[in-house]
Amino acid sequence: MIACLLIPGFELRAALRKQPRLALRPAALSPAAGTEALLGPVTAEAERLGVRPGMRLGEALATCPELVLVEQDSGFAVDPSGVGSVYFETRGVERLYGGLEPALRRALAAVGTAWDPRAGAAQRRFAALAAANVARPGQILVVSDERLQDFLAPLPLELVPMEPRRRAELHELGVKRVGQLAGLPGSAVAERLGPDGRRAWGLARGGKAARVRGRRPPAEIVEALEFPEAIGNELTLRRAFGALVETLMARPERSGRFVRKLALSARLVGGGSWRRSATLRDPTTELARIKAALGSKLADLPAPVLELRLELVELTDGQQLELLPAAGGELDVRLREGLRQVRASTGSGSVNQVVEVAPWSRIPETRALFVPRDD
Amino acid sequence: MVAYPGDTRVVRTAGRLNEPRPALVEARVDGTPVRVNRLPVELVREEWRVVDRWWTEEPVARRYFEVVLQSGENAVVFRDETCRCWFTQRGA
Repeated sequence: MIACLLIPGFELRAALRKQPRLALRPAALSPAAGTEALLGPVTAEAERLGVRPGMRLGEALATCPELVLVEQDSGFAVDPSGVGSVYFETRGVERLYGGLEPALRRALAAVGTAWDPRAGAAQRRFAALAAANVARPGQILVVSDERLQDFLAPLPLELVPMEPRRRAELHELGVKRVGQLAGLPGSAVAERLGPDGRRAWGLARGGKAARVRGRRPPAEIVEALEFPEAIGNELTLRRAFGALVETLMARPERSGRFVRKLALSARLVGGGSWRRSATLRDPTTELARIKAALGSKLADLPAPVLELRLELVELTDGQQLELLPAAGGELDVRLREGLRQVRASTGSGSVNQVVEVAPWSRIPETRALFVPRDD
Repeated sequence: MVAYPGDTRVVRTAGRLNEPRPALVEARVDGTPVRVNRLPVELVREEWRVVDRWWTEEPVARRYFEVVLQSGENAVVFRDETCRCWFTQRGA
C-alpha cells in the first residue's frame, strides 16, 4: 500500500503559526511577490464568506473586504512540488505498528493535531492522494484496488493535477468529475488536450502503481586502506589512493549521486595525522577528475603513512542540464563561481560591487561607492 | 571590517571609488605641473576647475590638470585650493 499524509492549506497554516488568532478570522495566503495576483489557501471562515483559493486578489477583497492577507513564511522552505503532502510505503512499517491502520494513526500523531492532517492509503499514488483529500482531519481512508474506480468517479476534477487551461477546457466540455474524464477514450483526450491531458486521464483511471522512491539523506561514505608497514613512496601512495577512489565510487550508497566535496586523510607513522579536502567546481562521478583533485596533495604528506582514508563528504543529486540555456545564464554562473573562488582564497570583503550614488557629481570620488559583497 | 564583540554579524563599510591620493608635484609659477611623482610632464592636455559645495562647511575648490608624463602614462592631478596640496585622481 502507498500512504499519503496530507495537510490542506499547508503554506497558510505554516504562515499562521506566528499569528494563530488569524486562523479563526477570514484570512488567505497572499500571492508571492512577482507572481500572478491569485490567492493561496484560505481559512474556513474566509471560505464561508465566499473567498476561494486561487481567486483573484481584487475579486476576493471585493467579496470579503475584511479579508486578512498573510505573507508566506519564508523560513518554511518546502519542495514546492509537494507542499503539504508526503508519501510512503506502508509495507515496511505495517508489522512494526501492528497493521496498516495503527501505522497510519502513528503517522498522523507524529504530525500533530494542530496541522489537521489526514491520511489516505491505496495501491496507487494518486488514489492515496485522492483518499487523503477526501478524508476529514485526523481520519484515515483506505481504498482497495477493486473499489478504486467507484471511489474516484464522483470526485471533483480539481483533484487531478493539470494545467488550469486544460481544466477549464474540460469544464467547458462538461467534464467536471474524475469519473467523466476516466470514461473518455484515451486517444481522444491526448488528441484534444495533449500530453498533459493524457497524463490527467491516466491519473483519473487510478494512475500507475509505481513504487514510492524515498528521498535519500546525505551520508558520509568512507573507505580506508591500512598498510602492513609505513609507506613513504609517493608512487605507491598514488596507486593506493587510486584504488580507494575506485572502491569508494563503486559503493552502492553513492550510486546515482555526484561528488561535490571529498577529503583525504592519513594516519602517520609516529602517531600524527594529516587531512586535506577538496571541493569540486562541478559535482562529478569521473574518476580521473576526482583523482586529479586530491592526488597532487599526496606530495604534501609530512611522514610515511600507516593508513590512508578517503571520504565523500558531500554528495549531490547531480545537476540538470539545460537544453537551451538562458541568455547570459552560463556567464552568470561562471562569474558567481569565479567570485566564490576569489572569496575563498582571499577572504571576506575581497569582492566588492561598485554602486553609483551620484554619477552626475563634478567631484569624482562622490560618484560611486564600492560595497563589499559576500553573498 | 569591524566585528562587534558578542555578535556574529560582521559590519562592513563601503568605500569611495576614485578617492584622491596625495601626489608629489612640482609646478611652474603659473601653477601648471612640470613633474608628477618625480616624473617629468611631457604635455598638459587639459585644465579645468571644480568649485562646488561652497555653501557647506567642506567646500571643494580644485584646479585639475590632465597631463601626459614622459613615460607615456596619462595622469590627472589637481591642486586643492583649500589645503594647497596636490593629489592624483582616477576617473576624473
